Amino acid sequence: MSAEKLKVAVVGFGKMGMLHAGILSVLPRVQLVAVCEKSGLVRRFLKNLFKDVSVVDDVGELKDFGLDAVYVTTPIASHFAIVKDVYDLGVASNVFVEKPLASNYDEAEELCGLTRRLGGVNMVGYMRRFSVTFKKAKELLNHGVIGEPASFSAYAYSSDFFGIDKNSKFHTPKVGVLRDLGCHAIDLALWFFGDFKVKNAKIDSLFGEGSEDSAFFEVETDDGVGGKFDVSWCVDGYRMPEVGFTVEGSRGVMRVNDDTLELSLNSGEKFRWFRHDLKDDVGFWLGAPEYYREDEFFVDAVMRGGSVEPCFEAAAKVDRLIDEVLVKAGLVG
Amino acid sequence: MGSQGKVLLVGDNPFHGISHLSQERSRVRGDTPTNPEYAARLIGLSVENGADGFMFSVSGTTLSILDILRKNGDNDGLRLYAIVPYAYEYVRLAGTLGGVPGLAKKLVREIVFSGNFRAVASGLNGVVRSDLASLVKTYLLYEVSRVKRSAGGKAKLESVLLHQLITDLCLGLGLDWIFKLYTEFLLKKGITPGFNTGNFALLVKKLKKWDIDLEKVAIAAPFNKVGFQMVPSKEECEKALADLPKPNVLAISILAAGYLKPQEAVDYIAGLPNIKGVAVGVSKEKHAVETFKLLKERLS
Repeated sequence: MSAEKLKVAVVGFGKMGMLHAGILSVLPRVQLVAVCEKSGLVRRFLKNLFKDVSVVDDVGELKDFGLDAVYVTTPIASHFAIVKDVYDLGVASNVFVEKPLASNYDEAEELCGLTRRLGGVNMVGYMRRFSVTFKKAKELLNHGVIGEPASFSAYAYSSDFFGIDKNSKFHTPKVGVLRDLGCHAIDLALWFFGDFKVKNAKIDSLFGEGSEDSAFFEVETDDGVGGKFDVSWCVDGYRMPEVGFTVEGSRGVMRVNDDTLELSLNSGEKFRWFRHDLKDDVGFWLGAPEYYREDEFFVDAVMRGGSVEPCFEAAAKVDRLIDEVLVKAGLVG
Repeated sequence: MGSQGKVLLVGDNPFHGISHLSQERSRVRGDTPTNPEYAARLIGLSVENGADGFMFSVSGTTLSILDILRKNGDNDGLRLYAIVPYAYEYVRLAGTLGGVPGLAKKLVREIVFSGNFRAVASGLNGVVRSDLASLVKTYLLYEVSRVKRSAGGKAKLESVLLHQLITDLCLGLGLDWIFKLYTEFLLKKGITPGFNTGNFALLVKKLKKWDIDLEKVAIAAPFNKVGFQMVPSKEECEKALADLPKPNVLAISILAAGYLKPQEAVDYIAGLPNIKGVAVGVSKEKHAVETFKLLKERLS
């Protein structure tokens, strides 16, 4: 690793690539040295945009920059091939991938195998673990504030495709609502309650055959806690995607989402926290505070050579569970 | 103008169904504030009670509101602070139109059919030469013409502010030339260039470093008693505010998204230096009357 600053490249300069590039550029111990982008048009504009950042079109070209870390922020379907190239070609040993890790569990597991063999810090962008409300919820669950969890229900909603005529030729993204949005709720549930199995699942296609637009499934954790998930990108009133949980425990109920955390204890006591109450400060605000914390956390781990959560192994469980949901819903064999 | 030189503006968040306290709050509030007729009525009431103008992201909804204000004759002397681009809408459109290429096609169609030939010529030049500067100018011409057409000649477009996401992305990436280009272009058009930011202290520091005249720009940034969204800290933002050469800051989120009571929120703002004005969203008629009466009284 370079003595002065961490040399980082971003692969894929879409919405998430821009966001991470913006944050990385203000982190004092980081130097954004290169961007890799497949689109020729975007590359032409990027070359005019940046003075001190190189723009390339192939991951292999990044080898020449002596990189400490690579951010992979391309469309989900390409994660596997790009991350594999990063490792196989020796582009960098520390890798951050936007969520989810891969398009299926087999791919995710193969990438985990690479990290087991090659080491380095690896992380997947499940940024809600860095949200103040979910962090506080995890802390309260760990301290047993609501007692032993008995059951939970989770939702992940957005209005991204609400109001679109179902008879139009429009198709929702092939990646499906589970890997696009539902993966956040699954990751948080794994973080809160540990591993679980899918008992049954139903998936609805609203925009043509094969589209995956809403999902409902029931699970049971290894500790016997029952859970329900409701996921959709066609719900009114969710201008921003929102994830939330209601957890029933032996001593009370907890409700948490991106904005608030509420406790209702059997003793009659009630508590409510907004982001305002939970020290939501960051050094630089782009998108949401959790993105800054996530990037800072990854960079810090690379600098000190430690490990991070959610790592590839943790994220692979999300891919495994999504595959299980698809099987239970009869979408794949 | 409102009392003591401070500009009192109606903010548009409720008209887009936005609550930064919680999305649940905006869902409970229902669709009423997003109805353009009702929103125009709220602005009219706010003006009757002390508001000077409207700060808004340029979108189909807010342009409809401006249309109604113009048709009702409520645009006379209305001071407008337009924020471009409405980034969330464009991100959403990119998702439904097949990514950035689909979005670009839609935007090009709109610009061509807008009949703004200077914008079309500048845009063509930008595409042919991959010249971002030409494209930025094209886009600004297009947005300014949309706002002026809807608002009518009696309203005054005081400032065009770069949306927070774009300002802060360019700030993070250190794209000084975009800030310079934007500032110079709008000043030539007789419009105050503005920046909506979530990183006020850093923006001020960088604008100084890049020799952008702070006396000629407007900055919209969160200022509130609890330090909500004041990055990196309330203290740093207050210090940067005090160091400005003149009042050019439009304080937003002064109620910390409904977390604070109006009285305590206004008391805090009244004690700050270099505040040019405030923008506050209102979602009910009673709210509009009480809020702007209070702002007028307490900031005088």
